[in-house]
Amino acid sequence: MANPAEIRELPAIGEPLLLVEGLSKRYGETLAVNDVSLRIPRGSIYGFLGPNGAGKTTTIRCLMDIILPDRGTMLLAGVALDRRRRDRIGYLPEERGLYRKMTCQDQLAYLAQLKGVPRRESQQRAWRWLERLELGSYAKSKVDNLSKGMQQKLQFAATFIFEPDLVILDEVFSGLDPLNIELMRDLILEQKQKGTTILFSTHMLAEAERLCDAVCLIEGGIKILDGSLAEVRAAFPFQMVRAVYRDGREPPADLPGVVDRRQDDGTWRFELAPGIDAQNMLAPLAAAGPLSLFAANRPTLSEIFLTAVRRQRESRTSDRSER
Amino acid sequence: MSKVLTVIRKEYLERVRSKAFLVGTLLGPLFMALLVIGPTALGNLTRSQERTVAVLDLSGDVFEPLVEVLRKNEDNHVKLRRYETGPQAAAGVEELKARVLAKDVDAGLVIGADFFAQPQLTFYNTAVSAVVLRDETLRPALNEVLREERFQRAGVPADQREYILARSEWTTLQLSAAAEAAQSADVGIIAAITMVMIIYIMVLLYGQQNLTVVIEEKSSRMVEVLLSSLRPEQLLVGKVVGIGLAALTQVAIWTLAGFLVSVQGVAVAGAEISLTVFSPWLWLNFLVFFVMGYFLYASLYAGIGAMCNSVQDAQQFSMVLTMGMVIPILLMMVVIRAPDQPMATILSLVPFFSPILMFMRVTVSDPPIWQVVLSWLLLALTIWWANKAAGKLFRAGILLYGSSPTWKSLARALSR
Repeated sequence: MANPAEIRELPAIGEPLLLVEGLSKRYGETLAVNDVSLRIPRGSIYGFLGPNGAGKTTTIRCLMDIILPDRGTMLLAGVALDRRRRDRIGYLPEERGLYRKMTCQDQLAYLAQLKGVPRRESQQRAWRWLERLELGSYAKSKVDNLSKGMQQKLQFAATFIFEPDLVILDEVFSGLDPLNIELMRDLILEQKQKGTTILFSTHMLAEAERLCDAVCLIEGGIKILDGSLAEVRAAFPFQMVRAVYRDGREPPADLPGVVDRRQDDGTWRFELAPGIDAQNMLAPLAAAGPLSLFAANRPTLSEIFLTAVRRQRESRTSDRSER
Repeated sequence: MSKVLTVIRKEYLERVRSKAFLVGTLLGPLFMALLVIGPTALGNLTRSQERTVAVLDLSGDVFEPLVEVLRKNEDNHVKLRRYETGPQAAAGVEELKARVLAKDVDAGLVIGADFFAQPQLTFYNTAVSAVVLRDETLRPALNEVLREERFQRAGVPADQREYILARSEWTTLQLSAAAEAAQSADVGIIAAITMVMIIYIMVLLYGQQNLTVVIEEKSSRMVEVLLSSLRPEQLLVGKVVGIGLAALTQVAIWTLAGFLVSVQGVAVAGAEISLTVFSPWLWLNFLVFFVMGYFLYASLYAGIGAMCNSVQDAQQFSMVLTMGMVIPILLMMVVIRAPDQPMATILSLVPFFSPILMFMRVTVSDPPIWQVVLSWLLLALTIWWANKAAGKLFRAGILLYGSSPTWKSLARALSR
């Protein structure tokens, strides 16, 4: 523990560890974050999702006091976030680097000390982490001599070395090859097992779906939806149908029960209205021509996201036209 | 606070353990010696280069005594070559000029026909540097020839010539209220220039390191991780202090070595180097101006670094700041000549100049204590302002990537 005198009273697993209320940040004309509220349960991997430029990094930087929010409250375990509280939060930014001329062990130890780990202990912990990540033989070499993948491991270790209660990983998979993505995922799951809460921001929704217990989707600085994966799915109880015609023709325009249709890579995707059974689609589609693929499934996270964004926009425009 | 200490510790150890520090500590004094006594030593070196002067002695009576005088003075780096002239003096002069132009000889000298009555000489040269030869060698020698001949003609007895030629003898000692010991003014000037140069070089060298380190931290994308652990101001202070302590360590090593050498009594370029003669007052001022000068410039350099993405980007801004150190060096002679004139007083109170100019005044003169203390206060105020400004630049710039800053964006960051 960083400071033996400090009592770490954390909520029970599943209870909110981090609470954000009404966070807003404006850059000149643009509202980067618009009244965002988050509720991150302890012990979960929480996906903070949205396309590039949605306001994820701005929100995170506000959490870490790297930029000042215009409005909003942030509570960790029920107490307003201050510098001392932030020493319990690990942060791996998207733009991450290391001191190139410093040795691996010194580097980890230095970053641990900056989070309040005593000097002697920081060296021991650095050593243990290097051993665990199979970098023990590099302890005394400069970061310059490490491969990209090893550097990623080192950065990861630096984020967890002070045993934080909450870890924020911003676009942690970006720029990684599949092997390293696999490695990172294992490390993240391992940390979760130890009870660490992880706020995981990414624009890769498929990754998030595999990893997260709960998610929050934001777009254009506005929260679109949030909740546990089960809750999110329950809120979008529609089915998706995918279909491909052998000769690549277009499906008929007047299919019943279809809310939205789009084509990518020759595959047609139909979002069905809630309550419409996908089976009802087979006959009208097959009547139009020879099918080489017909599939029905529950929507993926990214399909839910697209639907949610569309609904949000529709409701906004209808709000405006009512005025 | 412990985080600032962590940063200080890291920056300090990183520097002190580096090879550059070791090399700098060893070679620094050598460099400093070259800088201070180098020009004199180099001057002596060039003087001893042999030069040939073509002499056209129209009087016919001067050449031999001149050679004699030069030999007596052991001035053997000038070689005289005599030219005879025919009945036409003008033709001889033309030939001599041609020789000088063709660089057969380094210079030409035409001695007037009636030299002892009207001592007229014409000196021909192609390079301005020959003027040194004229003034330092030929003129005194010919003056002596003239004097001896006129003594002769006036019938001055040999034993009175010495008496007539006597010069006043000077001993120069610098007195100050603070220091009881009187020191030779020559040593004072050399030491003063050395200490001023140490302040100048170290403040620039270590101050600018803050700029490069901050830019490095930005370009290696280290900065965001750091800022999630400590406030920008803490990072700034930690860096500036850590690097400054390394500079101070280096100067302390030199000073200690200087004391050890002084005890041994070593003379360089004819002046005995002795640090023991300096008053505590002077040492105090050295420390104060060194430390405060460093802090002022280092924090501003760091602030500039935070706004920029590359050292090239930073150049246009850092150059203006560097000027603050260079201008007083250019003004140094003004202060040495008239250290207590209003001009020097005012210049030395300008906070950006006082680390050099006020310290210069303290070493070469004895300015009123209120003026020195006032310059401390002004410097301290400016440092306080500079730290706030650097903090603002840091907050505004440290996460700014891509666009290179302009004076406008700098001003905007400062006015926030």
